Amino acid sequence: MKKFLSVLLAAAMAMMMLAGCSSGGDATTGAPGNGETNAAETAAPEGGDGTEAAQSDVTITVAAIETAYGSDMWTQVCDAFTAQTGIGVELITDRNLEDVIGASMAAGSYPDVIHLATGREAALTETFIKDQNIVDITDVLSMTVPGEDVQVSEKIAGGFTETSLTNPYGDGKTYLAPMFYSPCGLFYNAGLFEEKGWTVPTTWDEMWELGDQALEEGIYLFTYPTTGYFDAFFYALMYTVGGPEFFDQATNYAEGIWDTPEAQTCFDIVARLAQYTEPTTPAQANDQDFTKNQQLVLDNRALFMPNGTWIVGEMAEAPRADGFEWGMTALPAVETGGDRYSYTWFEQAWIPSGAEHQDEAKQFIAFLYSDVACEIFAAAGAIQPVLNISEKLTGDNQLFYSIYDNGAKAAMGNFAAFSPIEGLDVRTVWFDPVNSLVAGTITEQDWIDGIKAASDQMRANLIQ
Amino acid sequence: MKKRSGRSVFIFLCAAPAVILFTVFMIIPTINVFRMSLFRRSAYSPTEEFVGWENFSRLMQDTNFIRSMQNTILLIVVVTIVTFALALVFAAILTREKIKGQNFFRVIFYIPNILSVVVISAIFSAIYDTNNGTLNSLLSLLKGETVSILWKGESMVMVSLIIAMVWQAIGYYMVMYMASMSSIPQSLYESASLDGAGRLTQFFQITIPLIWTNIRTTLTFFIISTINMAFLFVKAMTSGGPNGASEVVLSYMYKQAYTNSTYGYGMAIGVVVFLFSFGLSALVNAVTKRRTLEF
Repeated sequence: MKKFLSVLLAAAMAMMMLAGCSSGGDATTGAPGNGETNAAETAAPEGGDGTEAAQSDVTITVAAIETAYGSDMWTQVCDAFTAQTGIGVELITDRNLEDVIGASMAAGSYPDVIHLATGREAALTETFIKDQNIVDITDVLSMTVPGEDVQVSEKIAGGFTETSLTNPYGDGKTYLAPMFYSPCGLFYNAGLFEEKGWTVPTTWDEMWELGDQALEEGIYLFTYPTTGYFDAFFYALMYTVGGPEFFDQATNYAEGIWDTPEAQTCFDIVARLAQYTEPTTPAQANDQDFTKNQQLVLDNRALFMPNGTWIVGEMAEAPRADGFEWGMTALPAVETGGDRYSYTWFEQAWIPSGAEHQDEAKQFIAFLYSDVACEIFAAAGAIQPVLNISEKLTGDNQLFYSIYDNGAKAAMGNFAAFSPIEGLDVRTVWFDPVNSLVAGTITEQDWIDGIKAASDQMRANLIQ
Repeated sequence: MKKRSGRSVFIFLCAAPAVILFTVFMIIPTINVFRMSLFRRSAYSPTEEFVGWENFSRLMQDTNFIRSMQNTILLIVVVTIVTFALALVFAAILTREKIKGQNFFRVIFYIPNILSVVVISAIFSAIYDTNNGTLNSLLSLLKGETVSILWKGESMVMVSLIIAMVWQAIGYYMVMYMASMSSIPQSLYESASLDGAGRLTQFFQITIPLIWTNIRTTLTFFIISTINMAFLFVKAMTSGGPNGASEVVLSYMYKQAYTNSTYGYGMAIGVVVFLFSFGLSALVNAVTKRRTLEF
């Protein structure tokens, strides 16, 4: 009897300890935000198709990455959403958002809305896409924007909800909401071009000529922050070389696509560009030192780098050469008069399948396209992909966002999603080897062989 | 009889919390790692598919994994030997010799150990900068012409990691060796010097044999901490780049488990690391076994 009692006591003690551990899950991560509103765990009300109701007892968790735009805008938008709908928002923002929410998600506790971008080192969005763990939000497009009387689909600019980034499975359904778009291209010091009397090249042949010319003055033609920036560059390059049809086939890993002349041209251009790249670039192309590569352009030591419009804010405090002025151009054409493309990079907001308050989360996403939210975002430099937004832009942004008005075509999309393959992902196969091309430790053919082998495996694992 | 059972109940009660905690937080997760290495699954998805030994057979053909394993072994060997030798020598100098500012040096050597890896990586980012880093500037000064070694470039990145890791670890091991060296009775050295033994002979014949137990313990520490610290250094300093040149086995495991959605595969790497570090520690322990000397 005594023994039984002691076992019982020991068990009770252990249970208490474990209970103490598990209650830690509720603790909010130290995020700046609107209040310590701990979610009152009430059942999510039914319906909620855009019409606002008094749902003040529901609090949704929004996890948003903090980037060059800062996190204040998120606090303001969440406040505005609560004021409009009565739904509370617990906001989590962090520069390393994946590290903050990753552990609790692995334990089964998901935020209701996640705002991130693909192409990040941690590849959280890609993980959820591969796992097919994202809620279908096609119905959000036909929802009314809270506080307005128009539908979401009437606000979002054309094309944004038809790309492989928002509809990753090609089934006509939208899973990720397009956010904060930014034209990507080659950034340079317009002041330097003016001073030297150089013209910005419109074809790759002109580019190589300029490269030789600049090198005589000790300036390298090209640098890149990290190899991650090659995704937007390579996508635009594929469009420039082979048009949308080639892009579609290539990003779906069509059989034999990498043996075509178009693909060879893409590889040749990157390999040649590697020879013109500032030699210290690969040693600094990591998450810690990438700004040193960006600094090369500010210091007139390299002419061009692939980047997005956020670069202006990111390097705002950095020292720069006299007369420095940001310039941005689309990728040069393959031949005179050929098409030029600028990749439209955008971030995404999505709802993980494990989210508790999915209806409220959908309302929140709809609200992100309201005039109120768009203005708050725009004030911080984050431009929502809504119609007529370019009229409201000022300064550098006006110049950058007018790139499509000046003859460049918009390139959108990315490599098609495939089921996870052990030891294989897009970045390490396509883009990371550029570092080795620049250092001269692998040949162009090694790089192409790696891509072909990987492409075959990815095709076999495509998510249909 | 009653007294005896009361005593065992008491012992049981005292031991239970620790045993339960150890089981819940150590044994069960470890078993889970072994189990999950036989499945195909992702970090955030509940679905899993049994694949048997497939993850392991894939590992053996994965050139990136093999390279990361080579890098890890390189770090274990070089960092251990260099840190061990330097820490031992510095400890002997600081305990045996009378030099000015002994305490000052003790503190200076120990400082890197209390810095976080993120701070260290920021310091070394400034040291390794190609264009105006401390190291290249110093070499330029000595050589008389501009030196621009790419410290974080493909060919030098492992050397750079080794330098940073040795710099960080040296103080910790030095303090450990100093602690055991200072407990060796002075009389042993005095009688040795009366017999005509020089400083070096004293070091090899008296100091090393008498702190041998301590050295054995630290060798195991070296293996475990190099594997763990390498992950932190790589994550903070190079992200595994350029093009995977500085990838170590734990950073590769992390990438596979969390960013490539192949959690089972990552766990298979975890199993390999687990067995490897266990095996290596056991081997080192067996090889360094000596009769314990006492004083």
